[in-house]
Amino acid sequence: MRRGATALAIAAVTGLALAGCSGSGGSSSKPELKVADAYMPKPVGDGEMAAGYVTVRNSGGTADKLTSVTSTLSDDITMHVTKDQKMEQVSSLPVPAKGELDLERGGNHLMFMGLKKQPEIGEKVAVELHFEKADPIKVELPVKETTYNPKNS
Amino acid sequence: MHQKKILAAAALAVAAAFTLTACSSDSGSDKSPPVTDVSAEAKTKAATVLDTPFTKPDMVLTDTHGKKYDLIKQTKGKAMLIYFGYTHCPDICPLTMGNLAVAKKALPKAEQDKVEIVFVTTDPEQDTPAALGTWLKSMDPSFVGLTGNFSTIQAGARQIGIGIDAPKKGKDGKTVSMHGAQVIAFSPKTDKGYLLYGDDASVEDYTKDLPKIIKGENP
Repeated sequence: MRRGATALAIAAVTGLALAGCSGSGGSSSKPELKVADAYMPKPVGDGEMAAGYVTVRNSGGTADKLTSVTSTLSDDITMHVTKDQKMEQVSSLPVPAKGELDLERGGNHLMFMGLKKQPEIGEKVAVELHFEKADPIKVELPVKETTYNPKNS
Repeated sequence: MHQKKILAAAALAVAAAFTLTACSSDSGSDKSPPVTDVSAEAKTKAATVLDTPFTKPDMVLTDTHGKKYDLIKQTKGKAMLIYFGYTHCPDICPLTMGNLAVAKKALPKAEQDKVEIVFVTTDPEQDTPAALGTWLKSMDPSFVGLTGNFSTIQAGARQIGIGIDAPKKGKDGKTVSMHGAQVIAFSPKTDKGYLLYGDDASVEDYTKDLPKIIKGENP
């Protein structure tokens, strides 16, 4: 019984490994993007601005770029990197082939300005991520407490 | 709920590992750092105890009520945690101050009055007393917010080892400001800055350490 399960697991692993590599060497492969770990910490003050975080995983063999973000919450969403305690606006963020674009607290983040409403904990903010090559991806950012940091929870 | 999160994290870690092992040979052009930061590093104590404690910076600034605030005089004999940042900062500044707010609220009421949390703006032009007040009030109305002359603020920060540059207009015309890298905790016994926290210090870290800090003890 237990041996059966192990065999099954091994089969699954082999399957994954194979699937993971098929076509990755060819130049014709496309970026294959998936979004995870999306959230928005509840903004402070009078809600002038908020930050948003997502992780974009690319299982494809071609790199892509996050080029813009749209949402009904704000018409002014920009991408920022943090360097030496300074925020710097960038026009795109790289999504490496076989890698991920990781937005996280204290690092790269999305900045929402001029919020049309104050996001409350438990709500979800609908966002659309636009890429250079891949099709846009719709994602919902659950609003978490101001101090939420997946690294510490 | 918690368990689900762990499971999901484990699944992701496993998935990431597969992707890496499965394809490491053909990812030569991939310059991105490996996904290994999924595994949390073993965390030691959040606080660094300073061998040579800092003297409290001699700063006279303006508080959120528009009144003169003498940092040395008004925090004398009290535990004090100080952070330099700006309100037009969506990411690390609200996280740091939010962490401190939650940690302070976790103290018994009588103990809460024994600690002063001070936020000094690095962008005094945009952070007027009123703007600072609105921002801080939403986290904890007892927080002290200070603004004033940038050169006074910069000199004060430097006295406790925190380097900040003046805000600059970026390419897009928006102001680029910077936040300090650390929170410094001052002892009520010596009035010296004896502990240093990086921006990865969590709510749990501060919650655990504040009861010690208000006694001037090492966490």
